[in-house]
Amino acid sequence: MSAIPAVPAAAPADGRDVSRPVPFLRAARAVFDLSLEGMVWSRRSLLMILLLGLPAPLALVFRTFITRLPPRVGAFDFYGVVIAFYYVRNALPLAALFYATALIADEVEGKTITYLLTRPIQRVSVLAGKFAAYLATTLALALPAVVLTFFLLTTIRGWTGVGALVPDLFRDMGVVVLTLVTYGAFFTLMGVLLRRPVIPGLLFLFVWELLANAPGYLPRFTITAYLRSLIHHRPPDEGLAEIFAQVLPTALCLEAVGGMIVVFLAAAAWIFSNREYVLDQ
Amino acid sequence: MTRSRLVVLGATVVVAAGAMAALGALYLDPARAAVGPLPPQALSLPAGTRYVMGLDVKRFVASPLYAKYAAARTSNRPQAFEELEQKTGLNPERDLDQVYIAGSQAGVPGRTGDALVVVVGRFDRAKVARAIETEKRGVTSKNVSGTVVYLFNESASGKGSGATAFLDDDTLVMGTQASVEQTVTARARGEAPLRNNAALLALLESVRPGSTFWMVGDQTLLSNMPKAIPGPGGPGTSQSIELPALKSLMVTGDLDPQVSLDITGEAADEPAAKNLADVVRGFVALASLQANQKPELKQLASAISVTTEASRVHVAARVPYEVLDSLQPRPPRSAPPRPPAPSAP
Repeated sequence: MSAIPAVPAAAPADGRDVSRPVPFLRAARAVFDLSLEGMVWSRRSLLMILLLGLPAPLALVFRTFITRLPPRVGAFDFYGVVIAFYYVRNALPLAALFYATALIADEVEGKTITYLLTRPIQRVSVLAGKFAAYLATTLALALPAVVLTFFLLTTIRGWTGVGALVPDLFRDMGVVVLTLVTYGAFFTLMGVLLRRPVIPGLLFLFVWELLANAPGYLPRFTITAYLRSLIHHRPPDEGLAEIFAQVLPTALCLEAVGGMIVVFLAAAAWIFSNREYVLDQ
Repeated sequence: MTRSRLVVLGATVVVAAGAMAALGALYLDPARAAVGPLPPQALSLPAGTRYVMGLDVKRFVASPLYAKYAAARTSNRPQAFEELEQKTGLNPERDLDQVYIAGSQAGVPGRTGDALVVVVGRFDRAKVARAIETEKRGVTSKNVSGTVVYLFNESASGKGSGATAFLDDDTLVMGTQASVEQTVTARARGEAPLRNNAALLALLESVRPGSTFWMVGDQTLLSNMPKAIPGPGGPGTSQSIELPALKSLMVTGDLDPQVSLDITGEAADEPAAKNLADVVRGFVALASLQANQKPELKQLASAISVTTEASRVHVAARVPYEVLDSLQPRPPRSAPPRPPAPSAP
């Protein structure tokens, strides 16, 4: 890993050897703190709060009106639709796209990457700190909404029977985490690879990922097919998905998702460490 | 602490509180059963059990389907239940909680009567016992491991055509004499023979507790199912569609607020599962094609989803009551009154 050599200066107060880069964890933590502040309090986060938190107020509306309207869908089925269709297929990948592609691309765009790269820290620790900040932000927005939605919907008729549904909640929370990590790793790679990664990212999400509805082995070339297979909710689909819907084995999904996370993050770290950023003057 | 860390901490607290509440609900749920949806007393069922079905009577009675059924049959229902209540003090709608049916010989010719019925509820034991003893002739009783077992039509060799016994104050078991005695003995000894049936236990554990009705079984249960169905050429033609054999079947369902059915069948291998899924999808597609004549069929077709997972086929149906109502045959319209025949000139 390349490190930017520090400019010889007076010895710091903590007695650190300035000829060596700051240790990985310490540097990553510093970048994490800096990035978290920038991510949580941003206009992007405002939009993401609306996007990821929307199911909770919807669940409240459902809870309020279900007793007054003729019920057409069960509360737990509605929760299944929220998880399977809204979160795993749309909202979480979009959140990952908007946050993860910006981790490095925003620094390049804003010409502030110089400030990071001229510090005596390893480049990998910059990426690690930023990715950790992305995860902390998106999980802090998504997981409470999932938990609130679950309880708002499943306790409509009291707490009887909620215990039987709890394993699904924990499974869903796990899949939400995996979705954010996997898509986050992929879009981080796109962010270090491309100068303007949002449009290719949107095309990937809404064109390429449709292969998950195709027959045969084609779904295995997508990310979403593995993540969809990990959840237990199977709301009725329409179109190709209705005809060719298949669920991949859980073990295969976990292996594939784990492999993708490692490969995408390693590739992103390698590219970011070796790439020379020339900023427009 | 920075504002951002406060936000993350707040989110963590919400998630942790939710997880704690969920764990509390999981472990303190009164419906928490011994294995899947089965209560501990049902684990005394014989180890050779090949299929088990269950009905949550409380949920069934509270469902819109039962309300409709009760409303439609309102003239007959109270009378039948009133008679039962007078004789035994038992009102099924009020006093029964769960009914389980288990058996080991489904589909074997000549061995259809070994089903065991376990009823969990609140009984007036003295009244029920008196009703059993006095209602029919030929009822005898014997003591099996300290439990009174009532035998129906006991022969000279001591074999009865059926038997019933109370496992405890809340559990009544009915079935063949051998099965009932086996269950009573296991219960008295504190044994759980069903735990030795690993295959069935695995199926039971995958049933979600809280379903209104459910069923699990191995291939024995399905041996009476047709192996092929007529193809487009109709019955008797060579174009029949072969149905892949299933190794196991699991059905769970709910009736509120709509009819929800989840069927999971395990085929011999992945191609067989895909084949079976294609057959089911074919029927759904046929229903969609009929939508021009019957628009309600389109709704029905879109309410069914079929997926495959390795060698398993999963069919999920969510059918609103409106769709079920629209599928009911309508009463024939009364013929319009004929115009009076013109009088002959």
